[in-house]
Amino acid sequence: MSFLSSLIDITYKYRFMLLNGAKFTLIVSISTIMFGLIFGILMAMMKMSKIFILRAFANVYVEFLRGTPVLVQIFLVFYGLPIMGVDIPSIVIGGVDMSRLISGIVALTINTTAYVCEIVRSGIQSIDRGQTEGALALGMSPTRTMYCIVLPQAMKNIFPAMGNEFITIIKTSSQISVIGIAELMYVADTVRGISFKPMEPLIIVALIYFVITFTISLILKRIEKFMRRSNR
Amino acid sequence: MEKEINYTDNAPIMKIKNLSKSYHTLPVLKDISLDVQRGEVIAIIGPSGSGKSTLLRCMNALETISGGEIWFKDTCINRMKKLPKLRTEVGMVFQHFNLFPNMTVLKNIMYSPIKVRKEKKEDVEKRAIELLKTVGLEDKKDVYPDTLSGGQKQRVAIARALAMNPEILLFDEPTSALDPEMVGEVLSVMKNLAQTGMTMLVVTHEMGFAKEVADRVVFMDEGYILEEGKPQQIFEEAKNERVKAFLDKML
Repeated sequence: MSFLSSLIDITYKYRFMLLNGAKFTLIVSISTIMFGLIFGILMAMMKMSKIFILRAFANVYVEFLRGTPVLVQIFLVFYGLPIMGVDIPSIVIGGVDMSRLISGIVALTINTTAYVCEIVRSGIQSIDRGQTEGALALGMSPTRTMYCIVLPQAMKNIFPAMGNEFITIIKTSSQISVIGIAELMYVADTVRGISFKPMEPLIIVALIYFVITFTISLILKRIEKFMRRSNR
Repeated sequence: MEKEINYTDNAPIMKIKNLSKSYHTLPVLKDISLDVQRGEVIAIIGPSGSGKSTLLRCMNALETISGGEIWFKDTCINRMKKLPKLRTEVGMVFQHFNLFPNMTVLKNIMYSPIKVRKEKKEDVEKRAIELLKTVGLEDKKDVYPDTLSGGQKQRVAIARALAMNPEILLFDEPTSALDPEMVGEVLSVMKNLAQTGMTMLVVTHEMGFAKEVADRVVFMDEGYILEEGKPQQIFEEAKNERVKAFLDKML
């Protein structure tokens, strides 16, 4: 009983920190999903390109990013960007250093691009070759064929796997706490340090993560159902 | 039924000169030469794997060729950069229809004329419905292809190809994927089309169609054209032993 009351107590006491953490988790996740989707589709196009160098680059990129830990990638970007001369001004907004936030989003986007690329590529390749030929034979350009005929159909196959990837991103975003971004995991650490209670803050953020991911998975299921119905 | 084809006109609509094609080291077409006159219906027959479909697919550049030349009117298509432009003039109907499953029948037909040829939507719609009438499917204009039978799908595919107003229409085994009872409806659409003077090249195993509708029959085997001529020359007076043996089995 006392554990439950301490749980409620801590939630109430640190509610603004926790809400702020949730906000940054969402900001990071949504940005990563958006950029990851754009770059992932481009990477998939490169991977299926006729030009050898593009194809080789995409292959090496995907294999390397899938074969190394996210944590390593986050540090590589965080320390690597300034070395490469990309200097992001350290403006602090809402308790979070912008340069760190941007490093975090960049690192996660680089990682997600590899996975989205594979999802998109397999989705596109699941579409019958006849669709491409049918479109080309009607005088469509290869670009139009890909973006207006093949990709919309592939989306139906891509969507469920992409939904999984979105949820994975939300969970993976907890790892950028290591470079000092005040998202949920970072807040849990902070609260633990202030309150000397290890369990409560972890349980609270676990619940918040779950509420976020579960809500999204419900929405995704709805959309999936709608997409299946609109097929005929 | 009898129509005039000007064989003496020395400007054929399509001219194939010494065409060869290999996949890696495997030659599939060897030294093919063929002239197609405007308004002509040519049936290409022969055993499976003889290169018939490949020949057809070379004609709208869905395949790249290894040697020789293909001329469409006054352009050499294997050196051409603007393939989409060529393909609006050389239409194709496929064995597996290749209709877009996420579009209604009408949208399937209207998509390319509107998006590629930039025609007015109202004009295209009028033409599309007219075409659906000629293939006997005007009541199906708002359904999705998955709800149609194979024969209906193929008739829609023909209407879709015609909506681009092509100068030549290529048919790649249009009835091979159909149930036997649906073959007739597709062939009769093609027969009506032939009578309108459309230039058609038809790869087919339907000997009856070749005999009755084609102006010229081309027999292919192992990448060569073994014999070509008027239907009766091929079906009744074939000189080549391989052609005779094949036709004996088919008829």
